[in-house]
Amino acid sequence: MKRNLRGKKAGDTIAQVVIWTILAVSLIIFSVPFLFMITNSFEQFSFVLPYPPKLIPTQLDFSAYKYVLSQPFFPTAVKNSVINTSITVVLSVFISTLSAYGFARIEFPGRETLFKIYLFTLMVPSFLNIIPQFIILKGIHIPGTDMNLIGTRAGLILVYVATNVCGHTFFLRNFFRGLPDALSESVIVDGGGHGAIFFKVMLPLSKPAIGTMSIFALQGFWEEYFTAKVLVGANESMMTLPLLLQRLHGQYATRWEWVFAASILALIPVVTLFILFQKKMVIGGLTQGSVKE
Amino acid sequence: MIALRHSLMEPTNLEHSGKGKHVQRNAVSKRKWKKGVKGWLAALPFVLPGLILVGLFVLYPMLFTIRISLSNYRIVQGQIDFVGLKNYINILTDASGRFWYAYRNNFLYALVTVPLILFGGMVFAYLINNLKRGRTMFKVGFYLPVITSWVIVSLVFTYMFNNSDRGLINYILVDKLHILNDYVPWLLREWSGNAAIWLMGAWKNIGWAMLIFLAALQSIPRDLYEAADLDGAGIWGKFRHITIACLKPTAYYVLVNMIIGSFNVFIQVMLLTEGNPNGRTSVLQYLLYDKAFGQFQFGEASAIGLISAVTIVILTTLLNRMLKLDTVEKGGADA
Repeated sequence: MKRNLRGKKAGDTIAQVVIWTILAVSLIIFSVPFLFMITNSFEQFSFVLPYPPKLIPTQLDFSAYKYVLSQPFFPTAVKNSVINTSITVVLSVFISTLSAYGFARIEFPGRETLFKIYLFTLMVPSFLNIIPQFIILKGIHIPGTDMNLIGTRAGLILVYVATNVCGHTFFLRNFFRGLPDALSESVIVDGGGHGAIFFKVMLPLSKPAIGTMSIFALQGFWEEYFTAKVLVGANESMMTLPLLLQRLHGQYATRWEWVFAASILALIPVVTLFILFQKKMVIGGLTQGSVKE
Repeated sequence: MIALRHSLMEPTNLEHSGKGKHVQRNAVSKRKWKKGVKGWLAALPFVLPGLILVGLFVLYPMLFTIRISLSNYRIVQGQIDFVGLKNYINILTDASGRFWYAYRNNFLYALVTVPLILFGGMVFAYLINNLKRGRTMFKVGFYLPVITSWVIVSLVFTYMFNNSDRGLINYILVDKLHILNDYVPWLLREWSGNAAIWLMGAWKNIGWAMLIFLAALQSIPRDLYEAADLDGAGIWGKFRHITIACLKPTAYYVLVNMIIGSFNVFIQVMLLTEGNPNGRTSVLQYLLYDKAFGQFQFGEASAIGLISAVTIVILTTLLNRMLKLDTVEKGGADA
């Protein structure tokens, strides 16, 4: 019996080593693009690309980072990305949480049909709507000026929030439905209405789900390129980080160290956020109920 | 079912009461109506903000796109003239066949990357889940490409696939390993350009599938495995009957998401190949972008968008039906 146990333990260790090796080798192959990016951000390019291409850094030259940080457009892009992303995430998560509660806990005629329409919009590629969205924003005039919402932060955020309501509502509705009824009943007994149930029971209980969704949303908005390019691309003061990276690449075809340094700077916030919160994220809820609909 | 029978019986009860039938029915519908209004009044504060935004920026645009696709739309003059199916015919019969190449490439992208993402994500998740140490490191490591923006990874891949000896891929394959004799202009040729786009797509999304599968694996109850142990099931048996069975809904979720994603491919094409040579590496969204914002052909661009939307809806419905059939059969067998 004892020998058997020891044998099993040894087998376990070997299995662990094998798994570890497979994963480590895969991860190294996976990391090649990142290694390449990091290494070349420490280089000094001129008009020709260096030969041979380097994968492992041989020097730590931060001049590319200094150059990018000293450019006047970099702070603008960071500022815009931070403001756009945070306002969008807060608004879209708040509005979707409200909607999700309505769809999960309040009965009203046409609820299922309306929810099916929301679901349907998730299947339609988001870029399909970009032309009408552009036209609608063009038609909304800012009072007191002859300007419209094209090229403005407000316009971009409106479209960002609107296009994410359906998905977020879907995700949170499933979560709300899974919460026990007993708690909200106790609020009703105390004379509270839906508002009280929402703020006192649902919000505190769904913090992990809302947090997880916010992080995913934040990553998405932080890297969003297409909508920003179409809606605010012509206005330089509204430039976001993805737009800036693309422009850096377009303007200086061979100065890869600047492009890569800027890319790494843009990456740091989202990666940090993910590392900090990955243990607290509840991803399981994401897929629940997606099949049964 | 009981509720349904109940409501079916109600009218017959009313008929017995003869004279009062009409009045009572009126009262019932009035009560129903009142209840409906009450429900809406309670729901509005919650649902309305989202509804306004979705209506204005998602649903209305969808209808508007249909109209544009049937019109000759000049945005500057604000003129919109109905032209019937002309835009659709123009796209489908274009002599260069650009639409069909783009359409083909979207399907090929799905066909190549989705299995890789599903399989890769599942394998990595399974291995990481069985790991005792270093889980976080691998989880974050494989997820890194997912967080990195498409613009950044596209730029990195452009450089790696550079057509001279300065690109990493050419350097390794020609100068180091001597597998190829000549430097390949990867991004300028039809199949190598497509392959680069596929490779990047799979590389970027495997981590996402891994994260979703990992969560699903962790939610499988331990008792299932313990029960199987008692029944004397082997490792393979447990893997097949418990792990795979429990991962099915998740796999379906990943599958549908990735197929929809395959029709959203855009940035990688714009930055890697620009659809060259002659649109052979193009995809629908890039074609739409080019038609709308490069040539200002909004009618044709909208028609392209609608064709791809209809394709996705058909694909998802088919998948849904296939899966539902599966569950219905199982439910029937159990009963």
